[in-house]
Parts: sequence; structure tokens; C-alpha cells
Amino acid sequence: MARFLLRRLLNMIPLIIGITFISFVAMSLVPGNFLSALKMNPRISPQVIRQMEAQFGLDQPFTVRYFRWLWGVLHLNLGISMQYRVSVTSLIAVRAFNTIILAVASMIFSWVLAIPIGIVVAVRQNSIWDRVLSFLAFLGMSVPNFFLAFLMIYFAMHLGKDWLPPGGTFSVDYSSLTFWNRGADRINHLILPVFVLGVSGMAGLMRLMRSQILEIKNSEFVRTARAKGLSERIVLYKHVLRNALNPFVTMAGYSLGDLLGGAALVEAVMNLQGLGLLLLNAVRSLDIYLVMGSVLIGTVLLLVGNLLADMALVAVDPRVDFSSVAAE
Amino acid sequence: MRDELSRAASRVLIATLALAISAGCNVNRAHNDHQRQQILQNYFSSDPQTFNPILVTDLISGRILERVFDPLIQVNNKTTLPEPGIAESWNISPDERTVTFHLRHNVRWFDGQAVTAHDVLFTLAVIYDPKVPNSVRPGLLIDGKAIVADAPDDYTVVMHLPRPFAPLLYSAGIQVIPAHILEPIWKAGNFNHTWGINTPPSEIIGDGAYKLTQYVQGQFVRLERNDDYWMKDEHGEQLPRLHGYVSLIITDSNATYLRYLYGQLDVYSPRPEEVLDIRDKIKQGRLHAQLKDIGIDTGESFFCFNRNPRHYTKDGHTDPKLKWFTDLNFLKAVAHLIDKKAIIDLVEHGLAAPAVSDVSPENKLFYNPNLKDYDYDPQLAAQILESAGYHMVNGRRVDPQGNPIEFNLMTSTGSPEADQICAIFKQDLENPAIGMKVNYQPLEFTTLVEKVDGSFDWDCVMMGLTGSIDPNDGSNFYRSSGNLHLWDPNQPKPATPWEAEIDRLMDEGAVEMDEQKRVPYYWLIQQILHDQLAVIQITRRKVFASWVNTLQDYQPTVWGLYKPEWMYFKND
Repeated sequence: MARFLLRRLLNMIPLIIGITFISFVAMSLVPGNFLSALKMNPRISPQVIRQMEAQFGLDQPFTVRYFRWLWGVLHLNLGISMQYRVSVTSLIAVRAFNTIILAVASMIFSWVLAIPIGIVVAVRQNSIWDRVLSFLAFLGMSVPNFFLAFLMIYFAMHLGKDWLPPGGTFSVDYSSLTFWNRGADRINHLILPVFVLGVSGMAGLMRLMRSQILEIKNSEFVRTARAKGLSERIVLYKHVLRNALNPFVTMAGYSLGDLLGGAALVEAVMNLQGLGLLLLNAVRSLDIYLVMGSVLIGTVLLLVGNLLADMALVAVDPRVDFSSVAAE
Repeated sequence: MRDELSRAASRVLIATLALAISAGCNVNRAHNDHQRQQILQNYFSSDPQTFNPILVTDLISGRILERVFDPLIQVNNKTTLPEPGIAESWNISPDERTVTFHLRHNVRWFDGQAVTAHDVLFTLAVIYDPKVPNSVRPGLLIDGKAIVADAPDDYTVVMHLPRPFAPLLYSAGIQVIPAHILEPIWKAGNFNHTWGINTPPSEIIGDGAYKLTQYVQGQFVRLERNDDYWMKDEHGEQLPRLHGYVSLIITDSNATYLRYLYGQLDVYSPRPEEVLDIRDKIKQGRLHAQLKDIGIDTGESFFCFNRNPRHYTKDGHTDPKLKWFTDLNFLKAVAHLIDKKAIIDLVEHGLAAPAVSDVSPENKLFYNPNLKDYDYDPQLAAQILESAGYHMVNGRRVDPQGNPIEFNLMTSTGSPEADQICAIFKQDLENPAIGMKVNYQPLEFTTLVEKVDGSFDWDCVMMGLTGSIDPNDGSNFYRSSGNLHLWDPNQPKPATPWEAEIDRLMDEGAVEMDEQKRVPYYWLIQQILHDQLAVIQITRRKVFASWVNTLQDYQPTVWGLYKPEWMYFKND
């Protein structure tokens, strides 16, 4: 176990260096830099631009900048955002909190709904329920989630002013609320985005659950289990469900990384301050250290997510053990 | 098995739904009607980048800080003339080389200290400090020299100019910063890292009508009234009337619009397609708001051809494009091919006007109304081309040397309007009677800027620039030595007689201290640019403003709010 962990952790180091290096190269190959946009402002003289270039170290060659950045990272300093002129760490910290809450909440939402629905439609294959719910699932998969977000804002508007907040992570008067009301206010603001992000994820999960159950319930070990005289309950929870859940554990690791980066459009529409939107804006304005900081955090989260998923797989699937995972 | 499994699944589902319903939490809060509290809710499209008024380079920070810091003198957004700020009056010496500002005695910083001449001198020192990159300095340099200022007493500032300099009254709109707080920091060399967006708002000490009280990244900025503000209305009542602002930061413009309709925002600047929608909703009684046409866009948008010889001459060979793009006949033909009416109808929903001059008609003082537009006339364009020796050969237009006319057109991505305008332009130039070939490509803004300003590797660009009241602010664009002199920037000396003429007019116009006498210089510059077609103007959008009915004395203009201190909510 310890050897396996150590090995996986050591493997991450070259991976992280490789990913950040390629991102840095890609960002540096783009013509122009963060200050390019200022050049079209008649009131900003070329001298000012040159001064700012020196201030941000943009006049240095690419390799120097990369290694300076890497050196900073080793000292837990992700550099300064050129857009906001504050440390990248402080920008990411604010947003990481929102993103993680949102990601975890919408994951729970989609799993808790998708798995039982998947079971229902699988057990009643080809019934009217199966058809209706599968249709809805395909609908959920095909509606782009930023569009669903707009629909939800519309819906919130029609409900009336005080029901559901159409955006933001908390109300304007948040700081004047009591502790419990603050919590309630936050949850209120989570409902719509969690629904939007959850629905699109849910559709795919439900289809997966359905096909898993269908495959397993007809397999021989289920028949054997029943023939042994095991109760239906045991057959169900110990044999069918447990086997059906395996791919979900692996997926959890990936979907964490997905939710962190993939929600930029929903974040923009619903005014949520998350890492996705931060990264998107940083890329567009060529705010290189902010991009690198976000990429680094995203990479680490994805790798850690995968590692946790692999470890969880060992726990749920007796066929997998550490020696076999480590040998892969 | 079937029943067992689906019963379990249904149980989980029902439990989840119950949980979801109860999650719609009820927040107990004091009655939260911002209008009753005289708090205006507006919006910004992105986060501010700094709270340091000297270091501002972005629009949003500027809009926040203009409420927190008062300028020495300011521009009246209705008349576009300079009017008092911290300085309640100023006079100009007979030789026009000394300007004396008399400061108000009752302006105080938020911490109670008086705003004095020392603060103004300190602010100037910071602006001129070469280690402080700022966008204020260029406007305060006269022939590259700093203005020398001194303070005979606490409430008088005297500026000594190397020569008469009329734009001073526009560029003296500098926001004054408190010396007693920032001077030690500046002397320690830390000014560039002071008052960033992470600074606690209570540490931002200004002297304006509002104090910054809260900033939550990506969510909102809150301003609260400065009860000690110097301004009083005609009845001697304390101004400003509004008790505060809450500015929501909303990135997506469609979401912003929905929030305005939803009643979360009190003011809104609609895009053309929304103007019609708002008008309908007001008529149907579904939106209780005002909609007003407040004028014409103050900026400009144009096509510009690259005339930079450095781009075209390679290995002793000169690209024929340089000849076309400096040929007035070619440019005139192109100008006659811009279908402004189609652009207005198809792209701008009819809510725009043809642009003729590079100065907006909203610039009441300096706009030259006598220019005659190049009408859309493909036949005339074909005639001009023919008589200048550009003939049709096998369905393609060729220059007198037989080179087919083909060039690249670029604009920045992200603006669907610019994209459509370029498509219309391309279509008109590729019309069989004209026979040119246009390779159109939208580029990411930074890439476009690098081409225009850095590598000069481009043929034709469609882009826009923002406008300002004093044409001298456009020096970088007008002067042949400027880096925004797009068609041929950074010239060591003027390449053509008309560019030399513009340089001369810019020099002379800046010396003339009487605003009315300055006008002819800038009219002539507009005439020259119009005749030489260095930039070919397209259209200017009509600007609309919408605001809720309860908001009184809200007076938006294209340059900004007029008398913002006077507005208030009337609640019944």
C-alpha cells in the first residue's frame, strides 16, 4: 500500500512539470502578451507599456520566465496576476472554495438521482417509465448547460423576486445576516446552478447505470447466487449493485477535474465565481501566471482525484488489489 | 427481484426530492428593498483591477474610483466644457503660461484631514515619477516636459507651463490622492503595490461623494455616501442624495439583461436588439421603466489600409499593395463601396447613423458638420477604378501593372457586429462589377493588436477607437510620430505633406487657449483625414439608456452621468 502510494506520488512530479511546461510554451507562442490590449488605448503611451512589461518580467526570455515561475512554485508562490495585480494564490483561493462546493453538490445531486433512476429503468426495461425517463435523459444530455442556465434564470424570474436568486454565490446583504441565515442564503444560491450542472451530468450517469444493471442481472453469477438460495435482498445489494457501481468509482475521479474546469459558461451566466471562468478570462487576456496557477491546481486535483478513485476501487472491487494496480 | 429493487430505488428518489424541496431555505432578513434605502443597484461587466486612482488602466476601476476621488477640475458631461472640482475656480495669466487653481476650503479626506495644495503637488509628483506607470502622465507632458507647479498657500496651486497649452483644462482632471497617507509609501518605493483590490476598503482614503465599503471578488462592489461631502444643492441640502451604490459584477451580457428585467438592476444600457424589446415591454406595461435615446456613440469605427512601407518592401521588392493603398482613387472607390444603409439596417437594427468625421457629433465643440459623406455607389466606384487604370480582366479587377487586386481583411473576434460589417464589406468589394478579392479573417484581439502595432503584418483592418472630448487626447492617432497612427505609425518625420499639415495643426491647436479659437484647427484635421481616407468611417451606434421609473433626476449622457449627486429614488 505505502509503496504503491509513493510510486504514484513520485509519478506525478514529471507529469506536473510536463503539463505546466507545455502550457507555458503554448501561452508564450500566442502573439502578444497581456499588455497588447492596452496598446490600442490612445492615452497609454508606449513608454508606460514598456515599464509595465519590465514590472511584470515580460521582457525576459521564455525559459527564464518558466524557471522563475517553477522556482516560485517550489516556494509556494504562484506569482502575480497581471490583470488584478494581486497574488494568483489569493485569486484562486477565493474561487476554489466556491468551485469545490458547487462541484461536490452537483455531483451528489446527479449521483443520488441518476443511480436510483437508472435502476428503475433497468429493472423495468422497455416499460413506459423506461421510455419516458430515457427520453428525458437524452434531452438533458443534448441541452447545452449554459442554455439551461438561461432557462433557469427565466424560471426564477417567473417564480417571483424573493424565491430563487438568479445568480451570484450569496446576496448583497450577506454580511448583515446571522450565521444560520448566511448558510440558508448560500444554499438558496446553489439550487439553480446545482440543478443545471447536475442535470447534464445526471443524464449520462443514468444511461450508464441502466446498461450496467441490464448486463449484470442477466449474468451467470447472479443466477448462481439465487440458486444458492440467497435472499433477493442479498443478491441485489451484494451482487448486482456492487458490481454495477465499479465504473462509477473510476468516473468520480475524472468528473472532479471535469467539473472544476468545465463549468465556465454556466459560471458566466449565473455569475458564480469559479475557477473555470477565472481560467477562461485569464487565457483570453493572456494573464500568463494566472493561467499557469489555474492549470497547476487543475492538474493536481485531477491527479489526486484519480489516485483516490483507484484506491476506492480497491475497496469496492475485490478483484482489484494494490499489487495489480501498481503493476499497470 | 424486480419489485424489491425498484421499491428501494423509488424510496431513495422520494427521499431526495423531499430533501430538495426543503432545501429551498427561507432567509430571514430585514426588508430588503434597496430603493427604499436609496441604494442604486447597477452593474459592471468585470472586476476592477485596482483601487489606486493613479494606476488605473481599465474602465471598471475608473468608474468606481471617480465616485471615491474628486478631480482637481472636471468636465461637464452635458456641455463638454471644464467645470470646477476640488478647485472652485482657476485663472490664466495674460501670457497664458501660468494657470492658478483656487482650491475649496471645505474638502476633507475620509479621515477628516483637509485636502490641500500639498496633496495636489504630491499627486503631480507621483504622476511624473518615471517608476510609476500611469496613463495620466502623457496628457500632462508639454513637448515632453513636465509642468512645474508650486503652492503659495494651502489652497492655491500655480502651474507654470513651458508654453500655452489649452488641453491642460481637460487633462487637469486628475484625481487627487492623500499625501499624508501615500507619501511615505511612495518614498519607500511601494506605490505600485498600494491600494490593490485586496486592500481592505476602509483603507482607501478618498475625498469623493462615496466611500468604498465592500468589495467581493466577482460578486459586487458597495459604495456608501460620504456624509461630509462638500457639495450642497440649491437649497443648501447635503449631496449626494443617494445613500449608496451596489454594483453587481455580471460577466454575461444576456444574464445582465435578464437581471434588469427581473428588477435587480435599476439602470441599464441596452444593446440595439434589446432597445426594441424594452420599448415593447414598457408599452405593454410589463416593465416600469424609462427608455431614452441619449445620443450617438462617442467613439469611431473604420476600415484602415496599411500604408507602412516597412511592411511592403522586402528584399528590394515592393508589394503592389502599397501603391493601391496610397492611391486616393483606389481609396475613394472603396469608400463609395461601403453600404452604410445596409449596415445600419441589417447589423444595427436601424439604430445607428452613418459616420463621416472621425470625431463624433456628440463632441459639440470640435465636431466638423460640413464634411460630405462618400455615398454608397458601386457604379461610381467602378468608374473611378476604370479611369484610374484599374481594369477588369477575366472577371477580376487588376491594377495598371496587371496585378489582380486581392488583400486580407481582419477584425477582432468576439463582436458579431464587426463580423457582419466585414461580411457586407467583402460582398460589396467582390461584387462582379468591382471584382476585387478580399480574404477575410477575424482574429483574437491581442493577435490583431500585435499585427497592427507590432509586426505591421496586415493589409486592411476593421476596428474601433474610443473618443475623447479634447482632440489632443488623440495625439497618438493624429500625429505621424504616434504609435496609434495606424496606417503608418512611428514615422521619424511625416511621410506625406498632409500628415505634416496635421502635425502642424495639432501643435498650433494645442497652443490656442481660447476654446472657440481652437475649433478651426481640429475642423481642418477632420477635413484632411476625410479627404485622404487614411481611415474610412463606417457608422456610429445610437446610444440608449433605460432606468426604473422610481429613479428621479437620472441624467445620462453619452459622456457619462450629468449631476449624478442629484439623483434619488421616489418611493410611494
